[in-house]
Amino acid sequence: MSDAFVQTTQLTKRYGSRTAVNQINLELNKQDIYGFLGPNGAGKTTTIRMLLGLIRPTSGSIRMFGKSFPKSRMDVLKKVGSLVESPSYYGHLNACENLETIRRIIDVPAARIDEVLSIVGLTKDAKRVVKGYSLGMRQRLGIAAALLGSPELLILDEPTNGLDPAGILEMRELIKSLPDQYGITVLVSSHLLSEIEQMANRVGIIQHGSILFQDSLEMLQRQAKHHIRLAVSDPRQAAHTISTWGIHAAQHEDLLTISYVPNEQVALIVQQLVQNGHSIYRIVDQRQSLEEIFLSLTGKERS
Amino acid sequence: MRTLHRIFYAEILKLKRSRLGFILILSPLMAAMLGVMYNLNAEQPGAWPILLSQMAMAHAVLFLPLLSGVLSAFICRYEHANGGWKQLLSLPVSRTGVYISKYVVVATLLLATQLIFMGAVLFIGLLKGIAEPVPWLMLVNSVLNGWLASLPLIALQMLMAIAWASFAAPLAVNVILTLPNLMVIQSKYGIYYPWGQPSLAMLPQNDSFGINVSLETLLFVIGGSFVLFVLAGLAYINRKEI
Ligand SMILES: Nc1ncnc2c1ncn2[C@@H]1O[C@H](COP(=O)(O)OP(=O)(O)OP(=O)(O)O)[C@@H](O)[C@H]1O
Ligand SMILES: [Mg+2]
Repeated sequence: MSDAFVQTTQLTKRYGSRTAVNQINLELNKQDIYGFLGPNGAGKTTTIRMLLGLIRPTSGSIRMFGKSFPKSRMDVLKKVGSLVESPSYYGHLNACENLETIRRIIDVPAARIDEVLSIVGLTKDAKRVVKGYSLGMRQRLGIAAALLGSPELLILDEPTNGLDPAGILEMRELIKSLPDQYGITVLVSSHLLSEIEQMANRVGIIQHGSILFQDSLEMLQRQAKHHIRLAVSDPRQAAHTISTWGIHAAQHEDLLTISYVPNEQVALIVQQLVQNGHSIYRIVDQRQSLEEIFLSLTGKERS
Repeated sequence: MRTLHRIFYAEILKLKRSRLGFILILSPLMAAMLGVMYNLNAEQPGAWPILLSQMAMAHAVLFLPLLSGVLSAFICRYEHANGGWKQLLSLPVSRTGVYISKYVVVATLLLATQLIFMGAVLFIGLLKGIAEPVPWLMLVNSVLNGWLASLPLIALQMLMAIAWASFAAPLAVNVILTLPNLMVIQSKYGIYYPWGQPSLAMLPQNDSFGINVSLETLLFVIGGSFVLFVLAGLAYINRKEI
């Protein structure tokens, strides 16, 4: 028995013959910010809907806070706040009333409404009917609703959808502050690695319903490959010279790219090239960006 | 089930700013107009039952079944509109509790209409100066029976309203099945027709329509179909994928 905070075992959802989520084993530890990353249609929302009991898994199981789900559904959901896909709201009610419909059910102090409204910066517009809100304001209201019950686990499905750059920054800062300030564990989904990279400590990458990678952000970064790039006077001749030592050099216009080699070998290559009459203009140590790792993991080429 | 009253209060709050009051008084208002126009002999014996039949006609045959559909669709509409279901059902609530709360709200609103209708009959009767004393028992029986007979229909309409995201679809079905009411309730199988049951229960017995079913039989059929439709609704909402 593992003591993970949230754990799915071989969790699977099939729609007819299409497998939306395929035997995934998610593992979230307490106070993680878990970045759940995958391209469109990968299965992020489907997984999240299973975690919230909105749909039933075809097979596999879920444990949250040491309880089996959906068997202990009520106990578990008391500790979960969520925002799935686009924010939910009642257009004919104002922000306070929207939150009040939830507060009446989860039974938290009335003062909590003002607290969460101020956390998401909606205090000023709290008495306006939500129908007239912009997308970003609705998104904030959605976050406020998710925070209302002071959850232990916050599940956010693409929370920066529709936010402007300042809003994205605020959202990121808010999410980052949650584990330390309130002891909240966060599962946040996105299709942008750059976004996850700036807040998550653990990452799960999903594609076509399967988990391709799950580990700390550091481990993901460590997977990044180094390349060495050389700008030389006669790249074609130089590539040939280098290949006679058993090292493959790819040529892109006037650049040669060789995969990572130790320092001594770099020194040797340089020395030999110079001795063979090449001018070396530039040597660059280039690290594969996370975005590239992501793209190579998910098998998509940068277009 | 401890949370039932909480869900119920949340449902009440969602009705705010919904112009519901207008929907509730519409049918009693029409009935009152029909009552005013009817040329009633206030001195004749049985003037009250005659007035009641006149006023209850359109209300029981047409508006009561329509209203049970409109209210059910109404109370599900804002859940369908902007992701309300997924937010509501990922809270610590039982889906059964959500169904019951919504059902109780609709049933309560329909009861309110019935009471307003009764008020309208009283008002018109007194206005016309009916000589006989007010037959309280008959009036209360009529509106309560009409209400009871609407309960299975509400359950059936609620099922459709939860299942279909469209507001218009369940209403269209409701209108189509309400229209043949006058014909169906005069046939032998009228009591088995959910859309016809309210009028059978509400109109005074053995009146000019020649309707003749015992109230016991009617209540038995109503009780049975109520249980059936509520169980179907609960089975559905508990399995629904959100
Ligand atoms: N109700 C459904 N019926 C059939 N297929 C579905 C259903 N819901 C989701 N799918 C399929 O499951 C797959 C995963 O969808 P999901 O919404 O989980 O993706 P996602 O990772 O959230 O994508 P996005 O980034 O676009 O939100 C998709 O191929 C989708 O078509
Ligand atoms: Mg999604």
